[in-house]
Amino acid sequence: MSLLTHPADMAPLTHEAVAERLKGTKVDVPNAVYKWAMFGALAITLAILVLLIASFFGAGIEVLSNRGMGFLTVGNSSDPAEAGMWQAILGSALIAAFVAAIAFPLGIAAAVYLEEYSSENWMTRLISVNIRNLAGVPSIVYGLLGLSIFVKALGGVTGGRSIIAGGLTLAVLVLPIVIITSAEALRAVPDSIREAGFGVGAARWEVIRSHVLPYAAPGILTGTVLSLARALGEAAPLILVGASIGFFSSAEGTGLLDRIQGTFTAMPNLTYGWARQPGEDWQANTSAAILVMLVVIFSFNAVAILLRNRFDRKRDY
Amino acid sequence: MSPDPTTAVTGTESNVIDEDGESRFREPERRRSPRREGDRVGPTAPRVEARAAAAPTDERVDEQHAVFDIRDLSVFYGEFRAVRNVNMVVRRHEITAFIGPSGCGKTTVLRCLNRMNDLVPSARVDGQILHHGVDLYDREVDAVEVRRRIGMVFQKPNPFPKSIYDNIAFGPRIAGKPKSEMDDIVERSLGQAALWDEVKDRLSDSAMGLSGGQQQRLCIARAVAVEPEVVLMDEPCSALDPVATSRIEDLMQQIKDEYTIVIVTHNMQQAARVSDRTAFFITEVSEAAEGQGGDQRTGLLVEYDNTEAIFSNPADERTENYITGRFG
Amino acid sequence: MPSTDVTQARSAYQSELEQLRLQVELMGVRVDENLERMRSVLHRGDEREAALALAADDEIDAMQVSLTERCYELLAREQPVASDLRLVVSAVRITAELERIGDLALRVAKLAPDHALLHRYPEIFDVLAALADLALDHYRLALRSFAGQSVGLAEEVSAGSPEVGHLTDRLVGEVHRLQGDDAVPVAVKAMSAGQSLSRIDDHATVLGARLRYLFTGDPDHLAAEVR
Repeated sequence: MSLLTHPADMAPLTHEAVAERLKGTKVDVPNAVYKWAMFGALAITLAILVLLIASFFGAGIEVLSNRGMGFLTVGNSSDPAEAGMWQAILGSALIAAFVAAIAFPLGIAAAVYLEEYSSENWMTRLISVNIRNLAGVPSIVYGLLGLSIFVKALGGVTGGRSIIAGGLTLAVLVLPIVIITSAEALRAVPDSIREAGFGVGAARWEVIRSHVLPYAAPGILTGTVLSLARALGEAAPLILVGASIGFFSSAEGTGLLDRIQGTFTAMPNLTYGWARQPGEDWQANTSAAILVMLVVIFSFNAVAILLRNRFDRKRDY
Repeated sequence: MSPDPTTAVTGTESNVIDEDGESRFREPERRRSPRREGDRVGPTAPRVEARAAAAPTDERVDEQHAVFDIRDLSVFYGEFRAVRNVNMVVRRHEITAFIGPSGCGKTTVLRCLNRMNDLVPSARVDGQILHHGVDLYDREVDAVEVRRRIGMVFQKPNPFPKSIYDNIAFGPRIAGKPKSEMDDIVERSLGQAALWDEVKDRLSDSAMGLSGGQQQRLCIARAVAVEPEVVLMDEPCSALDPVATSRIEDLMQQIKDEYTIVIVTHNMQQAARVSDRTAFFITEVSEAAEGQGGDQRTGLLVEYDNTEAIFSNPADERTENYITGRFG
Repeated sequence: MPSTDVTQARSAYQSELEQLRLQVELMGVRVDENLERMRSVLHRGDEREAALALAADDEIDAMQVSLTERCYELLAREQPVASDLRLVVSAVRITAELERIGDLALRVAKLAPDHALLHRYPEIFDVLAALADLALDHYRLALRSFAGQSVGLAEEVSAGSPEVGHLTDRLVGEVHRLQGDDAVPVAVKAMSAGQSLSRIDDHATVLGARLRYLFTGDPDHLAAEVR
């Protein structure tokens, strides 16, 4: 109850009365309910996360502790006791490299154009909206795109169902996200910095290169790392593009070019493959694979956060 | 008419006009520029008693002294006319102040002088701004080069989030100055901004660690580092405390000999203290044209004269109302 | 039709300035009263009148001090410019002139004891009476100019009165022609009165110049003096 809502009480207020009101500790029920409701939402989210981890943790840890590093360095096999994730890890790593090499420069450059160069008109608004739409397109659609263009049409260059095709497909999938997050980071750069740059007679590209991009770098970096983490987890497009879920072998000493043009797999796909195998051993392997994937993705996120914190601290404003 | 006994001599310090028509009166040491040909005010110049409605145009200023010859300047943001028909000449090595209530177009005009308004997509300019005989808004003129010659200091200090050294060095670097000269340039600029002694031992520290007043002096140093001809200042002291403000005002007087300064200020006392010439702008409310919603408020130059004249006896009643505070 | 926003601001400050103007006018009225008393003493020699004038002069002096202080305070607090500044500066100078006029009036009023003496020489007395009338009229014109803020009247006031010069010359002539035992005391008293009266007139002229500065801001009138 405030002094303002009950004007009738405004008639002579003694010191004691005011003190009484200030100290008044009535239990504020709506506030408490709200607070506990929000906490409840958080608790549910945490519970799901804990459940997720816990369900795989037991079996997975057992496999990893039994097999050790071998689990990560050995290729797939029909024998569950021998099957390892090596090819999947390598495949994912190579695909990640492709995504980074293609999507990041393209996406950042596109964002720079949208934010720094283009003027506000109906066309740029249309483009922005459509980029957002692209980010929401189901990933399997990208798989189909990859299949028809990178696998079939460009089969001569990419080697058909290969890491090149897979990398290109995921790069295209991730591109809208990179553009959006980079654009957001660029938008967060205060205009005063740009004005200051122009004020000393810098051309637009000089201002962008020397001031805008460095300032936006933490945000852009975070965006790109997160998009990479997303790419690593996409199974559907890779299925269409031809990631193998069975086992295959690549001969020792195969060159990189052959590897990226030949049969391949990635972590999500391997996990899927194992999950479909009957038997407890395979289930245990699946749990272990899931754990490994979670560790990889969590560390990507952690790196993103660490990088941002480090840049933020350096900037102190 | 009977002789006027009131202007006879008494003591030694009055205005004496002797036989040669020279004034024997020695004016005290002044900071301001000496009055020049074409000035309206002076003991020997006739005083204008009538209330003038139009702003005086100064045709007698030759190109040598004129830094900006602004002719019939109007600025539009889309359909909205922000300021209209400005005619004035800004002179070399003077501090010219723009004063007036909010929205009267003084910042708009200032930002036209170095084409900063180009950054606003809907901005459009009519009229001319002649600088060394060239219209700044001519299609062939390179805006980047304009901004190198005509620098700007902004209202809120905006140093780059880099080291002090890099802040100053950025401009010269992109202007193509060799690396060997950079140290000297940095020292000279910081010296001109009266900041060198305070930061000479920590040039690699972040500029963001400086106080507000220091940051603004840094911005001034950054502006003079590219050796411009003119320094434009958009309310440079409005975010600063009084001590920092007076340091910057002193600074302006010191660098006046090398640069020409145009300052927009909300603080009339500052304009009175610091400037040689003052331009007073006002908003004019005109009724909406057919089809436009709401009245248009357009800025307008009312009076432009020596600062002493503006503040002791302005010609226009609107100026008087504003500077005495009667203007709401 | 284009218009500009003019709304009242700084109203406390504006009314302080108005107060100042009124107080200066009031001081002018007090001085006028004392000038009237002075003339009455000149004609009738009433000692009580002279005593009243003396008391009133103390009040006038006090007013000058207080108004001057108020002006300095306004300068420090409000930083007046343009016409406001001219008002404050003029108030300081005008009140100084008024105070001087008051003193001079008192000097003449103090001649009350010698009233009978002076009356024995009508040729001298008439000149003094005429001088007193001229000075008073001149002063009143200045007062009207201030009250009505009239530039025209101020110009008239600052033009001076050559008749005063003639009268002073006549007085000197008459004094030279004095003979007899009383010659010296009468001469002294007459010259003292005559000079005071003519200086009252001079100060009125200077008031005119001050008023012209107040109304027009022309610096030529700022420091005008009369020798």
